[in-house]
Amino acid sequence: MRDDEILTGAILEDSCLTLDQLAGACAVSPDWVRVHVEEGLLMNQDGDGNGEWRFTRRELWRARHLHRLERDFDASPELAALVADLLEELESLRARLQRAGLR
Amino acid sequence: MDFKDYYQTLGVARDATAEDIKKAFRKLARKYHPDVSKEADAEARMKDVNEAYAVLSDSEKRAAYDQLGQGHHPGQDFRPPPDWQPDFRAPPGRGYSQAETADFSDFFAELFGRTGGARAPGPDFQARGQDQHAEVLIDLEDAFNGAARQISLRVPKLDDKGRIALDSRTLNVKIPKGVREGQMIRLAGQGGAGFGDAPAGDLLLEIHFKPHPRFRIDGRDLYLTLPVAPWEAALGGVVPVDLPDGGQLKVRIPEGAQNGRQLRVRGKGIPSDPPGDLLLDLRVVLPAAETPRARELYETMARELAFDPRAETGV
Repeated sequence: MRDDEILTGAILEDSCLTLDQLAGACAVSPDWVRVHVEEGLLMNQDGDGNGEWRFTRRELWRARHLHRLERDFDASPELAALVADLLEELESLRARLQRAGLR
Repeated sequence: MDFKDYYQTLGVARDATAEDIKKAFRKLARKYHPDVSKEADAEARMKDVNEAYAVLSDSEKRAAYDQLGQGHHPGQDFRPPPDWQPDFRAPPGRGYSQAETADFSDFFAELFGRTGGARAPGPDFQARGQDQHAEVLIDLEDAFNGAARQISLRVPKLDDKGRIALDSRTLNVKIPKGVREGQMIRLAGQGGAGFGDAPAGDLLLEIHFKPHPRFRIDGRDLYLTLPVAPWEAALGGVVPVDLPDGGQLKVRIPEGAQNGRQLRVRGKGIPSDPPGDLLLDLRVVLPAAETPRARELYETMARELAFDPRAETGV
């Protein structure tokens, strides 16, 4: 590859990550993801019609936070999910403030 | 390369127990957690704290670090001995993603990043390379006009002795027009190298916008505060608005518009498919009554307009 070559990628649509891609992006095992989905701590789309799970970037954000909270504080998955819920709420309120030009 | 004192970073003694180290780490993690911390340099501090903890919480790494670091002081120039080849079974940072460990200091990379969990696999071993993740910061203008961005990455790569080395590389990546906050661009085959004849992984780039001085961004839509004169609001008028693509838009202010009213200009947001909207928040700005003439005009209005702004509020 030449140094001045410009690479063109494909934009991934929402709800696009597979279970393995999500696990890879968060440095967790696919089992970690499976357990969190089954426990209802990490929501997922119904899939692509073939029964395969697909994850949005929203869930990638959530999975990274859950993993960090569990790792850094030895938090139970339920407690980490509670903190992630609050962080999501905080994020959406901050976005509303930003849209209103207040921050 | 500067020597890093991981004990100092965590604020513990060199003979601290594993429990002390964990406690000190959690205290700092709470203080510098990037989501909630009010400290200005929280993100950088958290990175240091994570790096120190990745080493000191792992007994093998801690022992190697203690042995190498004897007699060294923070900031002092440091070179690992030429025969330094630790044989760790654990990956470079247990529980830390590749993106996180790649972000650790050169000191860490030199000591621990060169060796991985995957020791030179046998000749028949084949596995697809790992996907890599990185973030790209772009300007709003880039989403309007498209752009090429240069990004620097540190990717693990097998060296000729079959060990994993961190390799720096720079890529030129096309930012397509219409891209939105949080979207991912997939560059097939640009991730970690595969083993054997297996293909390389993908590189997934996450798009984030730098804050814009004028526009606020929400998905496809743009928000802009548009200052207008009282007569533009009262009588209506046409006001020019500069767009991020360098073009200009003429916006009609409806007669009788009040402060805070929102106007929606369809299709003038981020040019994705379908394009977003531009939302204009009107802000009526009053001229100062600084000159005798300006005072006279305000006095005329006060005298001749039967206007009570508090009529409906009951104040």
